[in-house]
Amino acid sequence: MPPAIDVRTLGIRYNLRLTRRNTVNVTFRNLARRRRGPTHFWALRDVTFHVDHGESLAVIGPNGAGKSTLLQVLAGILEPSEGVIAVNGRISSLLTLGAGFDTDLSGRDNILLAGAFMGMDHGEMQGRMGEIIEFADLGQFIDAPIKTYSAGMNARLGFSIATAVQPDVLLLDEVIGTGDATFKAKSRQRVVELMGAAKAIVLVTHDMSWVLDFCNRAILLERGNAVAAGDPTTVVALHEERSAMRRTGGSPDPLPPLDGSGFR
Amino acid sequence: MASQTDAVRATYRMARPGPLATLKGTVRDVLSRRRLIQYLVRADLKKHGADTLLGNVWWILDPLLTMLVYVILIAIILRSNREAYPLFIFCAILPWKWFSSTIGAAVTGITTRELIIKQVNFPKIVLPIAITAGGVVSFIFGLVPLLAMLVFFYPSHVSVWLLALPIVAAVQLVLTLALAIIVSALTVFYRDIGNLAGHLLRLWFYLSPALYGTDQLDKLASEHPSLFSIYELNPFAAIFESYRNLIYYGQAPTWNLLGLVVLESLVLLVVSVLVFRRLEPSFAKIL
Repeated sequence: MPPAIDVRTLGIRYNLRLTRRNTVNVTFRNLARRRRGPTHFWALRDVTFHVDHGESLAVIGPNGAGKSTLLQVLAGILEPSEGVIAVNGRISSLLTLGAGFDTDLSGRDNILLAGAFMGMDHGEMQGRMGEIIEFADLGQFIDAPIKTYSAGMNARLGFSIATAVQPDVLLLDEVIGTGDATFKAKSRQRVVELMGAAKAIVLVTHDMSWVLDFCNRAILLERGNAVAAGDPTTVVALHEERSAMRRTGGSPDPLPPLDGSGFR
Repeated sequence: MASQTDAVRATYRMARPGPLATLKGTVRDVLSRRRLIQYLVRADLKKHGADTLLGNVWWILDPLLTMLVYVILIAIILRSNREAYPLFIFCAILPWKWFSSTIGAAVTGITTRELIIKQVNFPKIVLPIAITAGGVVSFIFGLVPLLAMLVFFYPSHVSVWLLALPIVAAVQLVLTLALAIIVSALTVFYRDIGNLAGHLLRLWFYLSPALYGTDQLDKLASEHPSLFSIYELNPFAAIFESYRNLIYYGQAPTWNLLGLVVLESLVLLVVSVLVFRRLEPSFAKIL
């Protein structure tokens, strides 16, 4: 059986000249002074790993290491600039929740729209509608436009939609901290359930207790490279040691990137 | 060590599909996401006029008021003495409204969906397609005042050629879709297009025979024949004249000019789709 996720020499390159603030003016200026400064930036490079069925992988690392970028690649949102990735099975990504809602539409309309964006079957989404509304606990607000929702209601609906699908491969990005205490407990339980049902999980988090409790493997990303991989306890210990050095103002020596061929 | 890494990197390289495979893949993507397009269109229509007093009545009122403005300006102030002038310009204003509002929406069609693009992987080309499809619905609503005007005020202009309206509309649809697709993708890279689009559209409108007929360009045609043939390359010259032939003159459209527009539009559509698909992977990075 092929692994649920197979990533080889993955590289994601950002072109620094193409940003959202790109105006014609800036483009001409860039053309005028071409070869000055770096033209691109590797958010990830030479990352090789695989996740087998039944495994759950934690991706840890300092801010800006490329963790979220990695999830975006796995979700198919970003295309590799280098290397290949293969994901077998239906993916559900719980990336920034509820941010993509159309605020002029009602909660109900947004559920259908979100389902259609995720490529879910219409009948399936209709079938889960009741369950989603129930879990989000929105009451009659479900027929009001999203712009009337509070931030918490918004996040609850987002979480509820994203977890309503039964994915084969579950991608989680710091989603555990949404809503009030009651909802937090409820959502934590939901995530644990999903993790039990999913065939493979990739979890990005800064909460090391999640890594130790739920993951059987971990990789440490630093500056876009996978620098350590293996047993969660060891990798977490390494990461915490290096974080502690950073906190006290020190800068730990950069670790050499893992050689992809040796990763097993 | 470095050379070894390069060798490893070279082992895994994703192949970029050829143009034909890209087109096929796009058609497949779009067909499989029909439901998404349908929802987007419905959402757009629902929002449209949801917060105004008259709601969807504006779809009918809007082209009528535009026509009124031009009628006042040209028939009354400039004293044009063309017969049934309101009908004459309405033949052009209605399709133009469809075109310009679609392009106007397409300009921001991708950029306003920034958040969902960064969260979910879906074929982004459904966005300009849904915008174009939504435009068709409002065009159909706009036909109501046109037909009412014909029946009640200008019954002498009614002819069987009205039945050919869908053909001309289909030609315009292909052109609109092609432009909507390419414009939506390019705006991601150059936001300036948003500022420019309104002005370019207005210029295009005045350069097309909307408020005047091609017959009024006799002077241009005889003095500068080359300039006039450039003028005729404008797809909207043929499109407006075709609508006008069907509605105002009650005669056949100039088929060969219309055929040329079909050809231009299809080529443009293929190019737009290919450009869009080429740029699509960068959307999530740049937005």
